[in-house]
Amino acid sequence: MVNLTIDGKQVTVSKTATIYEAAKEAGVDIPVLCYAKKLLPFGACRVCLVEVEQMKGRLIPACTTPATEGMVVTTNSDEIAKVRKTVMEFLLVNHVLDCPVCDKGGECDLQDLTYDFEVNSNRFEGVKFDLPTDEVNPLIERNMNRCVLCGRCVRVCDEIVAYGSYSFINRGFETKIATAFDRGLSCEFCGQCLSMCPVGALLPRPFKFKARPWQLKEVDSVCGYCGNGCTVTLGCKDNQVQTIRFNDKIGVNDGNLCVRGRFGYSYVNRDDRLTTPLVRKDGQLVEASWDEALDAVSSALKDGKAGILSGARLTNEELFLLKNVAKTASASLDHSGGECYKGVTEGLQETLGLASSTGTFPQVEDADVILSIRSDFYETHPVFGMVVNQAVKRNGAKFLVLSDKTGKFNKLPDAQTLLTKPGLEVNVLNAICAALLESGQAKTDGVSGVDEFKSALADYAPAKVSAQTGVPVEAITAAAEQLAGAKKGAILLAYGLPYTAQSKELAIAAANLAILSGLAAQDEAGLYICGEKANSQGAIDLGILPGDGLGAQEQLAAAAKGDLDLLYVIGEDPMTSYPDGAKVEAAINGAKMVVVQDLFLTPTAEQADVVLPAASFAEKDGTFTNAERRIQRVRPGITSPGEAKSDFEIFTSLLGRLGAQVSYTGPQAVFAALAAENGEYAGIDFDAIGPQGVVWGGDKLAPKQQVLVSVSGLQPVEARFQLVTGSALYHSGTTSTRAKGPRAVIDEAYVELGREDAAELGVATDDQVTVKANGNTVKLKAKVDNRLPKGVVFVPNHFAGTGLNKIYQGAASVAVEVTKG
Amino acid sequence: MNDYPQILFKNRVVGETAFIDRFRANGGYQGLEKGLREMTPQEITATVKASGLRGRGGAGFPTGVKWSFFPADQPVEKFLVINGDEMEPGTYKDRQLLLADPHQLIEGVILSAFALQVSHAYIFIRYAYEECSRNLEQAIAEAKEAGYLGRDILGTGWDLEIHLHRSAGRYILGEETAQLNGIEGVRPNPRSKPPFPAAKGLWGKPTNVNNIETIACIPHIITGGPGWFINLGITQGGVGTKLFGLSGHLNRTECFELPVGIPLREVVETFGGGVRNGKGFKACLPGGASTPFLTAQHLDTPMDFEPLEQLDSRFGTAGVTVFDETTCMVGATLNLIRFFARESCGWCTPCRDGLSFVQWILEEIEAGRGNRDQIAMLKDQKKNITGRSFCALAEGAMGPLDGLLRHFEQELEDHVKLGRCPFGD
Repeated sequence: MVNLTIDGKQVTVSKTATIYEAAKEAGVDIPVLCYAKKLLPFGACRVCLVEVEQMKGRLIPACTTPATEGMVVTTNSDEIAKVRKTVMEFLLVNHVLDCPVCDKGGECDLQDLTYDFEVNSNRFEGVKFDLPTDEVNPLIERNMNRCVLCGRCVRVCDEIVAYGSYSFINRGFETKIATAFDRGLSCEFCGQCLSMCPVGALLPRPFKFKARPWQLKEVDSVCGYCGNGCTVTLGCKDNQVQTIRFNDKIGVNDGNLCVRGRFGYSYVNRDDRLTTPLVRKDGQLVEASWDEALDAVSSALKDGKAGILSGARLTNEELFLLKNVAKTASASLDHSGGECYKGVTEGLQETLGLASSTGTFPQVEDADVILSIRSDFYETHPVFGMVVNQAVKRNGAKFLVLSDKTGKFNKLPDAQTLLTKPGLEVNVLNAICAALLESGQAKTDGVSGVDEFKSALADYAPAKVSAQTGVPVEAITAAAEQLAGAKKGAILLAYGLPYTAQSKELAIAAANLAILSGLAAQDEAGLYICGEKANSQGAIDLGILPGDGLGAQEQLAAAAKGDLDLLYVIGEDPMTSYPDGAKVEAAINGAKMVVVQDLFLTPTAEQADVVLPAASFAEKDGTFTNAERRIQRVRPGITSPGEAKSDFEIFTSLLGRLGAQVSYTGPQAVFAALAAENGEYAGIDFDAIGPQGVVWGGDKLAPKQQVLVSVSGLQPVEARFQLVTGSALYHSGTTSTRAKGPRAVIDEAYVELGREDAAELGVATDDQVTVKANGNTVKLKAKVDNRLPKGVVFVPNHFAGTGLNKIYQGAASVAVEVTKG
Repeated sequence: MNDYPQILFKNRVVGETAFIDRFRANGGYQGLEKGLREMTPQEITATVKASGLRGRGGAGFPTGVKWSFFPADQPVEKFLVINGDEMEPGTYKDRQLLLADPHQLIEGVILSAFALQVSHAYIFIRYAYEECSRNLEQAIAEAKEAGYLGRDILGTGWDLEIHLHRSAGRYILGEETAQLNGIEGVRPNPRSKPPFPAAKGLWGKPTNVNNIETIACIPHIITGGPGWFINLGITQGGVGTKLFGLSGHLNRTECFELPVGIPLREVVETFGGGVRNGKGFKACLPGGASTPFLTAQHLDTPMDFEPLEQLDSRFGTAGVTVFDETTCMVGATLNLIRFFARESCGWCTPCRDGLSFVQWILEEIEAGRGNRDQIAMLKDQKKNITGRSFCALAEGAMGPLDGLLRHFEQELEDHVKLGRCPFGD
C-alpha cells in the first residue's frame, strides 16, 4: 500500500494503482477519454494530465503513472484547466460536429468534456475529415470522422476479445483506426468496440435513430441465451427492446458481451410472436381463449399419462412451479433433450459428488493452467471465452485445447492444441491421466479407486492413444506435466444439445483428470461444466430430471408407441434441435395430444394440438443460475405481446386447475419456497440477491468426494468423411435464428469443410453440397476454411429446416458421404 | 586538416570499409580481449560510468548510469538493443561509422552485452541503411568465425547472439520504446513509462537501449581507460570525441570526429570551410533538427552538453546544419515542422493535432497570409505542446519553433507586415 495526497486529501491505495485510480478512491474526479477500466493504461488523449509536486516541470498523465509513496498531486489548477481545454480544442479541430444526427448525443464523452471545459469556440481551425462511413456489415457502423483516436476499440479487440480487428494506420494527422487493408469490418461482431467507443464513431446499426439515450428505460437483467449469465441492460422504449446496453458495474461479465447478447435481442420484438393460445380444430390451429386452451391441457395432465419436456431458459421460479405441475399430475419431467446434461451430472456425482462447476469465472482469469475440452467453448460461451483470453494473453496462463477442430482458442499465444480425431476426447483425457500416474505426478492423497483406475488405464497408454487419436505423445505428457504443476488450474467442459454423445464419459474423464492433477481440491477454479442455456444450471439444481419417471428419450419412445396421452413441450423445439429427427417426429405423431408452450410457432408447435404463447426473458421477473452457480435477477423491461403470458402465470393457472393449493404472490414467494426445499439455495433471500448475484455454495465448491471412475473412450470412425455438429459462434440454440443480429452474420445452416477436402471435392464457399448418412441426405451450402482437419465436416445445429437431425442421431461423429451438388 | 585524435574514425578511409583484418591490424578487439579476460561485468560498467560517457543518440543520458539501473546480475532473459534508426534531418554520423568500420560497433556490442550479461543483442537498422546492414552482416559473420560471438566466448562460459533487425524504420522508431515495439513487429507507438525498458522492455524482459555511436565508444574506454577518455574532451566536464555531421550552407558538408567542447566557430569555419558562396552565417541547428537554433552571437560556444543547454539549445546528435544569411527562418522552421508533423505516430493529441496546427499556421505566415494573432498562437502552441505529449517527439519538434520565436520573431513580423516572404524571389 502507498500513501499519497490528492488535492489535499490523504489516500491509501494498492501499489499497483495509478494516480487516476487513487484519485477515484479519494473521491476526486479526473477527466479521461482514452482510459478504460478494463484495458491496459494508454495515456494518449492527455486529458488526465495533473501536477505532481515531486515531478515538477511537466504535467503527468494520471492514467498511466503509478501512485507512489508521499506523492502530492494537484488535479486542478488554472494551468491544468487550460491544458485540458486545449486538448479538447485540438480534438475538435478535425472532429465533425454533427451531434444533432449522431446517436451518441447525450452520452458522448467528447460532448460532455467539451461542455465541462466550456469550449465555446475553437481557437484552432483546420481540416475536417471526410472519410467514408464503413457500413459494409449490418451490425456495426464506423464513422471515422467522429473518431478521437483513443484506441479503445483497438485495445478491447486485442486485449479482451483477442480478435484484433482494428489497428491504427498512417502517421501524424492522417492517423486513423482501420481494419485489415482498410476494408470494411469483418469480424465476430461481438460489438465490444461499441461499448468502448467514447464518441459516435462506432454505433450499433440496428439501433440507429431509434431513440436518444435519455428516452430509454434501462433495466438491468441477465442475458437469455447461454449459461454465461451476462448482465445486460435492456434499453426499452415503446414496449420494445430497442437495444442492449452494457453495464460493467454489476454482474460477472465486466460489461463484456458477445454478438448474440448484444445484437440477439430483436426476436422479442418480432411480429410473428405468438399472441394468443391456439387450439387445433378440424386439423387447423385456430385462436382460442386461455381458458379453453388451459382446460384442454389440464384435463390431459389430470387424466392421462403425460410427459413434459422443458427448456432451460425458464427462470428458477418457473422451473419450480413446473416441477409442481409434474408432481401434481404425476407426469414425467425432463429437460433439454435429456441425454447431454444427464450424463454430465451423473458423471460428476459419481466422481466428485457434485453437479456443477467448482469455481467462478473471475477465478479463471487468474488461473495459471487452463484446459479447454473442445475449442467450441468460445462458441458456446463467448464471454467466458474472453475471460480465458485475458488469462492467457494478459496473465500468461498456460493454455491447452483438446478438440477435434481448431478455432479461436487455438490462436491464442502459445496455445497448445491437442487435435484429436472426432469423438475421442475421452481417450485423450484418459491418456493424460495415465501419463500423470506413470510419471508419479498424480496426486492421489484422499482419492479412492486409484488401483482399479490405474489398471483400467492399461488401454490408454499415451503412445497407444496417440496412434489412435493423432495427438502426439509429447503433447499428452506435456499436458499432464502442466496440469500437475498448476497452482490454480481450470478444466472447462461445455455441454448442451449438440454435445450429447459420451457426455457422462467426458464428465468422468474430466473429473478424473481434475482429481489426479490436484485441481479439484485447489482453493480456487477447478472444473467448469457450462450449460448451453441461460438457466441450465438452475434446471439441474431444481431437479428438472426424470427421477422415477421417463427421461426425455424414453418419453419420445413411449409417445411414438402411442403410450403417452400428452407430450407437453415448453421452450424447446425438438423437431429442429433434438438429435434423431425421425424419432421426434414419430413421438409427435404418436402422442395423443401435443402441447407446445413457446414464443413462436416453431416446427414442433406447428404439429401441436394446443399452442400456448409464452413470454421472453425480457418480459420476466425471477432468477437464473449461471454456469458458475451464480443466482442472478432477471427483470422485465417490456410486457408480453397480445395475450401471451409468462411461464410463471401459465404454470400457476395449471396448478390451480389441477387442484393444487398454491397462491404465490410472485417470484419472490416462489423463490422462498424453492429455497426451503433445495439445500443449495437454503438461506438465500430473493431480495438480497444483489448486483453481483449470489453464488450458491460459495466461490469455491469443495468436492464432496474424490473417486476415480474408469471410463471407456470410443474407437475412431473409419470413413472418408465424418460429420460433427455443435454451436456456431453467432448462435445459441434455435432462438437466435429468429434474431436479426446473429442472422445478419449467419442466416442459414452450412457445412464447413477444410481447404484440402474442399479442393478434392472441387467445392468452393457457397457451392451446394450433399451430405448423406443413415439413408438420408441433406443439402447445404459449403463454407470452406481452415478450422477442420482433413476428413471432418461440421454442421451447426441451430437452424430449422436443414434437417440435420435426419442424419445426426446423437453420435459423437457420423460417417457421412459428401458430394458436390 | 583534422589534427584532433581520431578514435572512432581511426580506421576510416573514404570509400572503403574496414573488415576484420584491417580492424584487428589496427588494434581491434583488444578492448574485447581485455574486458572479457581481465574484467568482471561490474568492472566494465564501473569503467563506463567513470568515463562520464553520455549517450550519443540525442538525449545525452550518462551511459554508465543507465547501465547501472539494468538488472545485469539477475538470472532472467534480458536484451540489449542498439538503436540505429538514424533519421533526424541533419544527422548521419552512425551511417558514416558503419560504412567505415562495422567491427567497432560489434566489439562494443559484445563488451556492452557482457557488462549487462545479456545473451541476445539486437542491432536495429532502418531500411535506407542497407549498405550498413550488409557491412554488419559480414562483420557479425567474421566475428563469429573468430570466436568473438556464439557460445562460450573467450572461455568465459558466456554466450551471445547478435541479431540484425532490418526495419522499415521511421523517425518515431528512434524513440526507444517505439523501437522495441518495432522489433516485436507491432505498430511502433512509444510505450508508457514506467515500466521503463530496464524493467520491462523487449517482449516484456529487461532491455537496455543504446545508440550506435555510444556503443562504439565502449571498446576505446576499456582499452584507454576512463581518464584518457575524459581528457579527449576540451571543455571542463566534456568527455570523449564526437562525430559531427555537417550540412547546410557550408563549403564542406562532411562528417568529422572532433573533441567534445570544440567551439562552434571552429566547426563551421575550419571544418565546414565557412559559409558557402561567401555569404554570412545566420543560424545553425547545433545537434539535429530538434535542437533550437543558434545564431552568429553563439559561434564561440563550446559544443558540449552544458554550454548549449545554457543557451536553451541542445548538443543533440551534433548534426550541425548551417543556414546562411539569405535563408528565410520561417521557411526553414516550416520545413522542419512538416517533418515532425508527418513523423508523429498519431498517438497523443498534442503531437498529432498540435504539430499539424503549427504547420498550418507557419504555412499561412510563410505564404504571406498570416496575421499577428497567429504569431501569438505560435507562442501559445509551444506551451500547449511542450511537456504535455506522450513522448519526446513533440517536445523535440518544438525545438526549432522555440529558436524561431526567440531569435527570429522579427522575421515572422516581417512576413505579416509585407504579406509575403521577405526572402522570396
